Amino acid sequence: MSGIKAEDTKRSDFDQIGKPILRKEDVRLLRGKGVYVDDIEVPGALHACFVRSPHAHARISGFDLDEAKAMPGVIAIVTGHEINGWTNGLKLAPPIEGLQPTEMTTLPVDKVRFHGDPVACVVATDRYVAEDAAELVLVDYDVLEAVTSYDSALADGAPLVDETLSSNLVSHQKFEAGDIARRKQEAHRIVEASFAMQRMTHLPIETRGCIAVWDDGRQHLTMHIGSQAPHPMRSALAGRLRLGEQQVTIASPDVGGAFGQKIIVYREEITVAALARHLKRPVRWREDRIENLSASLQARENTVHTCAAVAADGRILSLEAEILEDFGAYCFYPANYLARVIGMILTGPYRIQDYAFEVKIALTNKCGAGPMRAPMAITSLVMDGTLDAVARELNLDPAEVRRVNMLRPSDLPYTMPTGERLEDVTPSECFERGLREVDYAAFRKRQTEDRGRKVYRGIGICNVVESTTYGSAFYKAAGIPGSGHEAAWVKIEPSGAIRASAGLMGTGQSYETPFAQAVAEGLGVDVAQVDILLGNTDIAPYGMGARGSRGATAGGGTLFLTALDLKAKMLDIAAALLGLNSASELNVKGGKVLRHVGGEWAETGLGIGDIARTAYLDPLKLPEGMQPGLEMHRAWDPPQMTYSNSAHFCEVTLSPATGEIAIDRYLIIEDCGTVLNPLVVAGQQQGATVLGIGGVLFEHMIYDESGQNLCGTLADYLIPTATEAPEIEIIGQHTPNKRTPAGIKGMAEGGVMGAIGAVNNAVNDALRPFGVIADRQPLSPDYIRRLLRQKV
Amino acid sequence: MKPAKFEYHAPETLDEALILAAQYGDDARIIAGGQSLVPMMNLRLAQPDHIIDINHIEGLSYIRPDSGSIEIGAVTRHHQIEYSSELMQLCPPLPMAARNIGHYALRERGTIGGSLALADPAAELPLMAMLLDAGIVAQSAAGKRTIPARDFFISVFTTSLEPGEIVAAIRFRALAHREGWGFRWLARRSGDYAVVNAAATLMLDGAGKVGRIAMALGGVGSTPIRLASLEQSASGLAPAGGWAGEIAAEAAAQVEPESDKHASAVYRKELIEVLLCQALEDALARAQRQSAA
Amino acid sequence: MSRIAFRLAVNGEVREVFAEPRKLLSDVLREDLRLTGTHVGCEHGVCGACTVLVDGKPSRACLIFAIQMQGREITTVEGLTPDEGLSPLQQALHEEHGLQCGFCTPGIITTFEAYLRENPDPSEDEIREVLAGNLCRCTGYGNIVRGVKKAARMLRDGAAQ
Repeated sequence: MSGIKAEDTKRSDFDQIGKPILRKEDVRLLRGKGVYVDDIEVPGALHACFVRSPHAHARISGFDLDEAKAMPGVIAIVTGHEINGWTNGLKLAPPIEGLQPTEMTTLPVDKVRFHGDPVACVVATDRYVAEDAAELVLVDYDVLEAVTSYDSALADGAPLVDETLSSNLVSHQKFEAGDIARRKQEAHRIVEASFAMQRMTHLPIETRGCIAVWDDGRQHLTMHIGSQAPHPMRSALAGRLRLGEQQVTIASPDVGGAFGQKIIVYREEITVAALARHLKRPVRWREDRIENLSASLQARENTVHTCAAVAADGRILSLEAEILEDFGAYCFYPANYLARVIGMILTGPYRIQDYAFEVKIALTNKCGAGPMRAPMAITSLVMDGTLDAVARELNLDPAEVRRVNMLRPSDLPYTMPTGERLEDVTPSECFERGLREVDYAAFRKRQTEDRGRKVYRGIGICNVVESTTYGSAFYKAAGIPGSGHEAAWVKIEPSGAIRASAGLMGTGQSYETPFAQAVAEGLGVDVAQVDILLGNTDIAPYGMGARGSRGATAGGGTLFLTALDLKAKMLDIAAALLGLNSASELNVKGGKVLRHVGGEWAETGLGIGDIARTAYLDPLKLPEGMQPGLEMHRAWDPPQMTYSNSAHFCEVTLSPATGEIAIDRYLIIEDCGTVLNPLVVAGQQQGATVLGIGGVLFEHMIYDESGQNLCGTLADYLIPTATEAPEIEIIGQHTPNKRTPAGIKGMAEGGVMGAIGAVNNAVNDALRPFGVIADRQPLSPDYIRRLLRQKV
Repeated sequence: MKPAKFEYHAPETLDEALILAAQYGDDARIIAGGQSLVPMMNLRLAQPDHIIDINHIEGLSYIRPDSGSIEIGAVTRHHQIEYSSELMQLCPPLPMAARNIGHYALRERGTIGGSLALADPAAELPLMAMLLDAGIVAQSAAGKRTIPARDFFISVFTTSLEPGEIVAAIRFRALAHREGWGFRWLARRSGDYAVVNAAATLMLDGAGKVGRIAMALGGVGSTPIRLASLEQSASGLAPAGGWAGEIAAEAAAQVEPESDKHASAVYRKELIEVLLCQALEDALARAQRQSAA
Repeated sequence: MSRIAFRLAVNGEVREVFAEPRKLLSDVLREDLRLTGTHVGCEHGVCGACTVLVDGKPSRACLIFAIQMQGREITTVEGLTPDEGLSPLQQALHEEHGLQCGFCTPGIITTFEAYLRENPDPSEDEIREVLAGNLCRCTGYGNIVRGVKKAARMLRDGAAQ
């Protein structure tokens, strides 16, 4: 990759990178001085509140707004009839075969497609009054039949969710590589398995919200909004509002979690911004928890069926996967986007070349779906679950079946049948280490003894290869418009103060500290001297935002490179000041310029303050032809993909009488590349894993047959609390990526992938004596009992 | 989610509160802890025109033992019940039940009067009120009456309180010295309402057979229930072998719970069998320990 | 009912409020008194982000009408923060990386300030049991538990001196 010197990627003698530095952002957050969007005071701001459909599928035949409008304190009430005239709709038509183009207006006017679909917006002097008025808004609905499952959506004669399509099958792709028919003939056995994952939602503790401030004098919109990707959001919002990009500023304050739910700009934010412009008054909106649960973004309702042709020793000769998804009613994202990633990396760390997948995505009358931390979470469950199915079928040990199929170091770099290139990963090393750490053989022995005493324990393994970063080449190959590059600037002010920025925004990933470490490493200063600015599109350079675990590689990497550029300029200035011909003997450490003389590094008496002063205030002293000032801008496109890997091991105890599962031990062996900050990486791994555990055991966004959302409160949609979350043991054995700055890889979604697989596999291992298999999630006690009951 | 408008009243005496309750009847709701009422109001599922705040009334929060029984004021917080040394001595199922209500912050504000008036079929204190034949002291401007627990809980979130009546206190019997007890439940997460809960008290007679016995279940019907006919048939049994499992199996066979999104009917029946058996065994163990002491 | 003028004692100061009786304590603290450290996550009492202390006891601010709090002492996270630096509990959470996005954190601080006074030497299980009343989506809880354990030790050591 251009611009990276080999020595920068091979280094392991870092000064700031790799240190467990405590977070810079903690002080304000702990003191209650974090500023989240709802904390921002905007004098005179009006409050918005949405009227939403109580029906899953209905035609809108009329609105009666009179009584609501007459309420004191109500400033305006609008429906799609006004809003759609003030804004552009969203058209998604990427040139991908099998993907139907879809369009949506900002607010629906002809029909509603899910329970919670917004149909009107009330603007009032405060939120309480707005909700009072919203109750008085009358909407006439003609209820239509709803489709609430993948199967019913694709049945003959099913009502259409999107009437511009000929059916509810919004996306259908196939892929085949190798000679699967031949492998099946050669096979010792054909093993089939099924995996059904339930609908979930991101549930950041801070719901969505925004404040739209329209400056009528400058014809400029400032949108205060928690955003993972401020620049893409700016471009999208400007386009929807028919404004020039330069007329919109996205200013993201502190964000209380996102996990993928705060990337795109939704219909509510567009409506609020359009209203601010129309009313020429600031308008703010805070999503409440019911709305967040039922009407923001949901995820993961996938089912995968696999068919593996296997040899007698458990080697997989070919693998076919049918991937089905219930995508909800609206395409906020291209419908194939995530199933595509699932199909792409399904084979994971295993040696499989004869591979086929078929992806089918259906629209249903539920909230639309989008990426939720580890959108490809089902891949590891499916791949390792299929290996477990092979082990069961052939009566082999599950660890041995993995070993036989696992990529060895000599197999790398390995090109997956989909063209994905795996390099600089260590799945077999992590797997073997994990088996030693849990003392796998001893566990099996204990397990047998315990079964004799009617104590049912299980161990689950899940080997994860986590796709991260997604360089521009990925989007090109996928036919998805967009870029994976990142941009940064680093500036040193005349006083020597250091600031840096990149085009990502943190929502809890602690970017401020590891990014400062990356800059400090590149410059040769202390972390404490570096301030990181993120989230404001007027300040930060145009970048692609925080998603797909790209923060460390794309953000940290670009900042590191930019800082190296700036250090080079500083050293050239230092050389000039010292009267040297070149800077080759100079370096910066601890903010001081050092010279390598007689085999030792010695201080020169210059510090970065001196360099900065010269650069800004005494430019005639600069080398001939050098521009004054001390700032660098740079962009960098990461490799098509960088991979992290981890091996997850989970031990459980099953209570057959009640169906309860207790997690006794959870261990991860991880390779996350060069780690910018080990505290942050450990925290991310723990958080991701517990989020995954929530998905396996607790979370379920339930709709009834008529499409009513039954999980409108946190008493209905369950996430783990501190008593359900196990202690996560993590052992790191990190190896660098050879193509990224400092050898950085991305991470933070693998924990979800691993947990969903490892816990599931552990439960199935515990269920083994009962001859039943859990093939759907969540593994609630009721479901486990249902399985066990059938066998009695 | 913001609540609808209401008139707020903060009476300083119980008499004032009762006059307000009589005046506004069904248009008013009493607020004590607010831990169940306010969520419903924020969700706009409840929109009372009047709120009568009884938190400022002195003399409604107490735990008063009184020869063989204990009277607990309606505005006594769950946290006080959880840590009451008198209750731990005289009626230990109550602190145990209170300990499991929600979480720390909820227990600091939630009250026993509120919990009983809410009448959630899976709640801990209504279960104990049924188990221990509690008397709910209801006051109104017209007077005072004591409603036995079995007549108090009518259906889900429905009690026999008349408009204008406020729960003022609850009377529980103290457990006898040699009386054992058990309380078991299954909840999805710590602090959640139980899917099913089961509680029992048990005393052995002079011959070591089951003497006085009471069994109650929650989460299996529209109210917590007492297993009166099973109590009769269990009396006189020898508590040996699979006695507890047999009684629990019979209870599971007799009770017909409903299915909902949290659990199916057949699963609840299985839980009755598991949890009641455990509760009975706990009660026996405690009864035997206390007899030996 | 239209707005009423009443007084609240918050973080040791008497503050004047002019609000409807239905206005929640969480909203009065945040909007009227500009104490935005108390966060709103659900408005049905489950997530715990809005936890404040009422007469030193943890309570959900989203389940209290502000007008009910006349005569009570309310303490928010701002009132549990020293003028300079961090309290022992805040410092311990910082050292153990016991927060990521920080949105649930103030509710955890108020809860454990109260709990550690009641139980100065809690076991890990006891800490997890109390922490179960505060939902966190970022950390997985392990570091928060370690932070509270460390804070308990720091407070016991400080008290011993």
